[in-house]
Amino acid sequence: MISYLIGFAGFLVTGMLQLSVFSQIKILSGSADILLLYLIVWCMYDRSKQLWLLVLLMAGLVSSVSALPAAIVMVVYFFVFAVTRMFQKRLTQTPLLGVIVITFVVSLLQIVMNMAYLFISGVEFSLNTALVEVALPSLILNMFLAIPMHAIIREIAHYAFPKGVEA
Amino acid sequence: MIKKIFSPKNLRNLIISLVVVGILFLALSGYLTPIFSFTASPFISAQSWLAQRFLAFSDFFNSPRDMATLRAENQQLESQVAMLQSEIVALQENLAQSEILYSLLDFARTNPEHSYIAATVIGREISPFLQYIIIDKGSNDGLRYGMPVVTQQGLVGRIDALIANAARIQLISDAESVVNVKLQTAEVEGLVRGSVTGEISLDMVPVETEVQIGDILMTSGLGGTYPPNIFVGQVLTMQSKQNVLFQTGSVQPVVDFSNLSAVLVITNFNSVDISPLVP
Repeated sequence: MISYLIGFAGFLVTGMLQLSVFSQIKILSGSADILLLYLIVWCMYDRSKQLWLLVLLMAGLVSSVSALPAAIVMVVYFFVFAVTRMFQKRLTQTPLLGVIVITFVVSLLQIVMNMAYLFISGVEFSLNTALVEVALPSLILNMFLAIPMHAIIREIAHYAFPKGVEA
Repeated sequence: MIKKIFSPKNLRNLIISLVVVGILFLALSGYLTPIFSFTASPFISAQSWLAQRFLAFSDFFNSPRDMATLRAENQQLESQVAMLQSEIVALQENLAQSEILYSLLDFARTNPEHSYIAATVIGREISPFLQYIIIDKGSNDGLRYGMPVVTQQGLVGRIDALIANAARIQLISDAESVVNVKLQTAEVEGLVRGSVTGEISLDMVPVETEVQIGDILMTSGLGGTYPPNIFVGQVLTMQSKQNVLFQTGSVQPVVDFSNLSAVLVITNFNSVDISPLVP
């Protein structure tokens, strides 16, 4: 129970940082999504069976704040949940590697879903511009911030799961 | 007698006296200054070195009794400096905020046909593909869906979603945003569209219209989404292709969307949703 509280409190703090700071730090027109990074790292360390409830809560919160359709947020967040569950069993000794790989894959999925949403909404945009000016810079920022995020969450996870955190 | 006066002993004393008097005379006249300064400088250096060491030595033995007082005083002064510095930062922030609010107030006074609610920008959209901001006023403050949002410079966007104490604003630079505008000089209407990168462009301007670089774009009021005559931006470039009906161009927005800190919501304008009428 305490791990859920810590996890959710951390998510709220990360959300505030995202909205006020990280959404404004841009490379070209791309920005990092530290909420997604938080979710990835937290899911890598949390092994509880009811984690999906926390993921649902987090996705609901992001859906209410973001202008993106809730379905996209839900799909991306539960994809993170599913992939981290898969990686937890295979990469127990190298969680950082898992975090980096999952960040890459999930960021790509999120970009594709964002662009698909815009396309379905009838927005005209150049695919090349969207890739070069928004998608790739966002991907780079996410990959870059995944390492410090992992270091911070790992420390928090020591308090949340005293027995469960591994190297 | 004379022999006694000019005895070798007296003569020697006389010569010595004359030499001493001569030297004194030369010294007092200033003729020996270079020689004195040349010979005295090593002694002065040595003397000052010795005096400094002595002072340091003396301080070392005498200071402990004042050290505690000095340390306490220093600590007090340091804390005072820190407090004053934080006060300066707070005052500077207040000043910047006041300047923004004054300019918003000026805008509200010069446009009395609308009623406004000022709000602070507290967040930005998570997705880099969308251009939205979040403000600290919501339905409890009288805001409603679709209300236009401006700054002292011009049009910002409109309310897209709101809760009791906060609202989400869709900027005119958002890819899904379309604003009906008119060219102030040519009296021609067109559309300003946002993009995924946050740039805005002018579209649907008839190809026969002569558009000048720097022409001012204002809301036309068509479509019922925004009130008329609000500044949107200036034309940067125009391009028209062959065999097309409309020309397009890029627009420099009057509002710097990356530095928005406070906005005004126009509360006495009700946007009209014409989507059911669109065939």
